[in-house]
Amino acid sequence: MNKEQARQTIFEVLGEIAPEVDPATVDDSSDLTEQLDLDSMDYLNWMLGINQATGVEIPQRDVSRFLTIDGAVEYLVSHSG
Amino acid sequence: MIDFVLPSLGADMDLAKLNCWLVKPGDTVHKGQIIAEVETDKAVLEVECWDEGVVEELVLAPGPTRLPVGTLLALIRPLEGAQPRPSPKAPAVAEAVTAQPIHRAPRHEVPSPPVRHLAHQLGVDTARVAGSGPAGEVTREDVRRAAEPVIGLEQRVKASPLARRLARETGVDLGIVPASGLAGLVTAKDVRAMEQVTPAPPDLPVETTEPEGRSETMRRAIARSMAHSKREIPHYYLANHIDLDRALRWLTAQNEERPISGRILPAALLLKATALALRETPDLNGRWVDDGFRPSDAIHLGVAISLREGGLVAPAIHDADRLSLEEMMASLRDLVNRARSWRLRSSEMSDPTITVTNLGERGVETAFPVIIPPQVAIVGFGRVVDMPVAIDGQPAVHPVVHATLAGDHRVTDGHRGGLFLDALDRLLQEPEAL
Repeated sequence: MNKEQARQTIFEVLGEIAPEVDPATVDDSSDLTEQLDLDSMDYLNWMLGINQATGVEIPQRDVSRFLTIDGAVEYLVSHSG
Repeated sequence: MIDFVLPSLGADMDLAKLNCWLVKPGDTVHKGQIIAEVETDKAVLEVECWDEGVVEELVLAPGPTRLPVGTLLALIRPLEGAQPRPSPKAPAVAEAVTAQPIHRAPRHEVPSPPVRHLAHQLGVDTARVAGSGPAGEVTREDVRRAAEPVIGLEQRVKASPLARRLARETGVDLGIVPASGLAGLVTAKDVRAMEQVTPAPPDLPVETTEPEGRSETMRRAIARSMAHSKREIPHYYLANHIDLDRALRWLTAQNEERPISGRILPAALLLKATALALRETPDLNGRWVDDGFRPSDAIHLGVAISLREGGLVAPAIHDADRLSLEEMMASLRDLVNRARSWRLRSSEMSDPTITVTNLGERGVETAFPVIIPPQVAIVGFGRVVDMPVAIDGQPAVHPVVHATLAGDHRVTDGHRGGLFLDALDRLLQEPEAL
């Protein structure tokens, strides 16, 4: 999975949770939960959706890597086959 | 013949539009089956039927008219040998909220809380299920088997919130969209693909103005309910800092062992502790009806859920004190997801016995919530913050949550409220026992 594919998957899943979000307006380097007003259930559902779409497991200790889009993209690229 | 009437839909929701029927004349209906969808000022709700029989006649067709609670919607012919419940009379609109009996299956003794919970979720009356366990005890498997025909009859479409919104906007029938999501979930991508194949005919009624209108009507409904509360209920407020160090350490260790789908959020822990603390202070759990307090044996925990479009709903997690932590998390996830895709059920809106609001999710340190009538208390949790605490006389920095209780002075006083917050604190210091 390359960066572009990872980013597309991330936003596809995000679109199911926060339909009003325009990917073009998201700052990839800042905290996603604050930026998009996601609560802990949204955040959990987002990571679950990414896991189901990509097969990449996200252990609890790595959850903090998903605080930003940049962090999530990097994680998926380095952990996908 | 049994009258199927528009049931009670919760406080200050006494009118609803009939959006659609999910059954037709001649269909057999079971207790707990969702047979219609209605829309109030606050939510789209799935309405359950609590009788068993055959649909004789759908008296009213779906339409934009706002109907009062108690309106006759359908006639149901009881199955042979079945005892129909006495038909409730249609009350006048003004008294509908309190006068309408809540349509719930009568309570029966069932073998274990998990079985009872599953039965509740699947809409199965365990009193009518032949048990295959020891001494004829009803098991989870029996309940699942009993629910199968119900699920088959419903033919519900599982779809994501965005898919539902897109389908509504584009006029695509969700029922004919091939699902590509997990467990047969229709996704937005599926709806877009279907839209390209079958463009909506030009005369199809597309409700493009609905979200804005719904947001305004929901705001008015919330305002009505809160004004009623502030006018009628003499609130008192109490607050306590609760050290969550042990609870969160324990939860993190638990979650390390679990896949994402099985992880438990701190919110589930707080809800479980709240439900158990209420067992010790039952006079905070119930309803104020006809100038008197009616305590509730069952603890149906209303959970305030904010909606992305604005506004909030507070549907119930039924029998919350009897759920394991895993069941609590599953119920919470299910409830939040359905609330945000407008798929709540009428019984969930009509019967919370107390509500919990968790404003910490939005960064607020302390919540001062307003009691939702006819309930007599509400619990608030703020953001978990690192704070200095004294441990054995030594300073330490621990994660702490500010828990608040708003109580109704017509029923309890600060002493009882204080006992509740004490119990909550004590229970959260032993997370493994929750």
